[in-house]
Amino acid sequence: MNEILKSNRRQFIVSALATGGALTLGPRLAQAAETQVWDKNELPAGSAEFTPWLTINPDDTVIVRVAAVDIGNGTLTQACSFVMEELGSKWENLIPEYADPNADYKNGGVYSKPGSVLAYFSGRSTNPDRASTYMIAAATAREQLKAAAAQAWGVPAGEIVAKDSTLSHQASGKSARFGEMLAAAAQVKLDAEPKLKDPSEWTWLTKTHPAKVQIPQIVNGSAVYGMDVRLPGMVYAALRQSPVQGGKLVSYDADAIKDMPGVLKVVAVKPKANEPSDLKPPFPFGVNPAQEAVAVIAEHYWQARTALDALPVVWDDGPGAQWTSTAKMNQAAIDAVSKPGEKIELSQGTVDDAAWKGASKTVEGTYLTPFCEQAPMEPLNGTCLVTKDRVDLWHPSAHTQESFFVAADETGIDPKNVYVHQPYVGGSFGRRVFGDDSRMVVAIAKQYPGTPVHVIWSREETTRQGRYRPLMAGYLKAGLGADGMPTVFEGRMSGGPGFYATGMADTAFTLVTPNAQVTSQIVPFHILQGPYRGPGYNSNAFFVETFVDELAYAAGIDPMEYRIKLYSKWADKGWVKTLTEVRDKSGWGKDTLPKGQGRGVAVANWGMGGKPDEGTTVATVAKVEVTKAGDLKILQLDVAFDTGKVFNEDAVRAEMEGGTLFGLNMSLNEGLNINNGQIVEGNFDQYPIIRMADTPDNINVHFGGLTGNPRYNEVGEPPAGVIGPAVGNAIFAAIGKRLRQTPFRTQDMSWT
Amino acid sequence: MSVSLTINGKAVEVDADPSTPMLWVLRDHLGMTGTKFGCGVAQCGACTIHLDGQPTRSCQLPLEAAHGANITTIEGLSENSSHPLQKIWIEANVPQCGYCQSGMLMAAAALLKEIPKPTDADIDQYISNICRCGTYTRVRAAIHKAAEMMQA
Repeated sequence: MNEILKSNRRQFIVSALATGGALTLGPRLAQAAETQVWDKNELPAGSAEFTPWLTINPDDTVIVRVAAVDIGNGTLTQACSFVMEELGSKWENLIPEYADPNADYKNGGVYSKPGSVLAYFSGRSTNPDRASTYMIAAATAREQLKAAAAQAWGVPAGEIVAKDSTLSHQASGKSARFGEMLAAAAQVKLDAEPKLKDPSEWTWLTKTHPAKVQIPQIVNGSAVYGMDVRLPGMVYAALRQSPVQGGKLVSYDADAIKDMPGVLKVVAVKPKANEPSDLKPPFPFGVNPAQEAVAVIAEHYWQARTALDALPVVWDDGPGAQWTSTAKMNQAAIDAVSKPGEKIELSQGTVDDAAWKGASKTVEGTYLTPFCEQAPMEPLNGTCLVTKDRVDLWHPSAHTQESFFVAADETGIDPKNVYVHQPYVGGSFGRRVFGDDSRMVVAIAKQYPGTPVHVIWSREETTRQGRYRPLMAGYLKAGLGADGMPTVFEGRMSGGPGFYATGMADTAFTLVTPNAQVTSQIVPFHILQGPYRGPGYNSNAFFVETFVDELAYAAGIDPMEYRIKLYSKWADKGWVKTLTEVRDKSGWGKDTLPKGQGRGVAVANWGMGGKPDEGTTVATVAKVEVTKAGDLKILQLDVAFDTGKVFNEDAVRAEMEGGTLFGLNMSLNEGLNINNGQIVEGNFDQYPIIRMADTPDNINVHFGGLTGNPRYNEVGEPPAGVIGPAVGNAIFAAIGKRLRQTPFRTQDMSWT
Repeated sequence: MSVSLTINGKAVEVDADPSTPMLWVLRDHLGMTGTKFGCGVAQCGACTIHLDGQPTRSCQLPLEAAHGANITTIEGLSENSSHPLQKIWIEANVPQCGYCQSGMLMAAAALLKEIPKPTDADIDQYISNICRCGTYTRVRAAIHKAAEMMQA
């Protein structure tokens, strides 16, 4: 057996590093380089596993096991922070390690219970189940350590203090490191589960804001991402999938390239039949089928890539080719909202002729958002070794457990013998959640058994074979009462199979309107879709908050005051609180802007699911300038949010900044085109991403919108939805042109 | 064909097809994976190295063009991560996913060498790397702070 497989334990350990402004790199950095080699990190003799979540080593280091993948949002650091609050360790002694999905499978879901289907997804590291699981595990270990010391020293456990990885008893002057008490502590059975600190007693959570623990490895290039996995004897594969999604591989001429340097084998991938299975993946396998593909396996990647480019391949495009142009697809989506959709998403009050006749004014609009690619900076890739009775997958997944089940399903090998090794992940934004990339890696590698195969998508293949943010159309119509507030609303939306409806029927605007009906309609597009930073919400927030702005103008009320009045009817106080915060901090209404400049506002919530005091509400004010020629400049952005409370202020600030820029790019720049069923754009020269010079000088994140509701909600998706409508509404204020379609860069913004 | 070059101060002989991009020479042939593959067409800058001191996108640099050259990669930016940029990157929590940051750091280090006290406009012009997570505001602030540190 290969050297790398001698141990069964999945071993990806990342280093923790001193924080709190410390500029010197701790000794753990040297250790980090060693500990990134998989399956070498045997626990030292004398270590004690207090719970599956927590192992303490004789040198006082603490292994903290983390299910939720860190895709840049700090899940590793947050897990350590929960342990830090209750254990009494030194911060730099906490070492996060990904929780092994194989151990989870064999041990009754020990790691996947808190968080359920999202447990191994980088969703919310601040999920209450996850927080309390870590804190109980840490408090229990602490009390066991104290009990062991109490017995050794003949003093009451209640007089012993655990701090800085040391146990001490003031009266007797005795002290010991954690590592010295492990053997005895591991034997202690506590009478009762220890009581957790009241949040008012916290000294770490909410009080400190540690930087991400893996940054020291990032800044010297030693952090191992999926792309960086190197295994003895590894070979590389480059792949091409049907240029029209859903198309079939007819033939390819492997002989034409067999003599090219380094070429080892050409393999075809046929989707596995979706047979009934006893496996219970977090997401059903229907979300991650393989597409038909051909791959060249070679000694080096560049050889595989060069040979693939030279490989003659014939495809049958299939029915997707009927979608000859972007315009045709846009029209189909718009046509689908010309009448109510087949699925009723919400019906409240009575939406009938009488309701419309009772309105003093009606407003309607049709809106459109295109397919968008998540475009994580690390192109899709993964490495897999399949042998007769075992699979090892090194994959930059955003859902390790889904990848685990996919590997079992694709090979038919017993999940007990499937091992997924989780490296760092170079961005996901939804792309790496469903595991279709994992399936493709395994589907190729299983045809070259006994050798680790590193499968790499080119950037063009990554972009053109996406699981995209759906193309969606919306039609919104409202009747206003005498006070200008909506009394009746009809909302319709459409998109390809599996598009996400989130954000129209379940949002505050709709729920405070007495009579409302929301429907949706599927359009038979062939383009594959998937999550993208705030599925559904990122389109619907644009539809709804652009529409609300139009209502404000129709009512003759300042758009900020209109929203404050409208959303004061909603039970969640965070909506008005975030609005007043950005009103006060952005300078709204305090000055008169010249023509060509304007401010716009938008507010929305990701995660509320129709309920108050859930999810995260974000309000954004954009100040823009549009030249007469139609060039747009973002002058200032003010962002306020309500997650309830926050654990780590700087981590939240970073996500608010990043999510705002992501949503800004989505709204200004992103939109994939279709030509004869194929995605046109391939690389960043065609699919532009904001760079340093395009970044607004002033992105101000304000914390005054927090309501204090104890929910510590998520921060990745929420800011991405509101920035687009805020900018669009600002453009209207500046030049009087209403933008109902993204990306804005393709719209005419010139004025005279 | 064998090509001689110096990487991070060490003489290296590489036996690979001379048209192989330096990015893949570093990553596959030499196992130096700190230099990242992001786009392959010199757009994103994740593969930025220093070629005789100049910031260069290694995905578009054929091995043969680097014969005899002196190359610095992220692994050789400093001993023990002691470059002021690396220290501030950690302190200011600059990276999110971190994948683009080797290239970002190499571009920033080259900027500070050429312009020790860069203006915002200098940074805009010099740092054209793509970061999908949106860390630009922090990158800019960190470059200014490193410039201050290096002058102190």
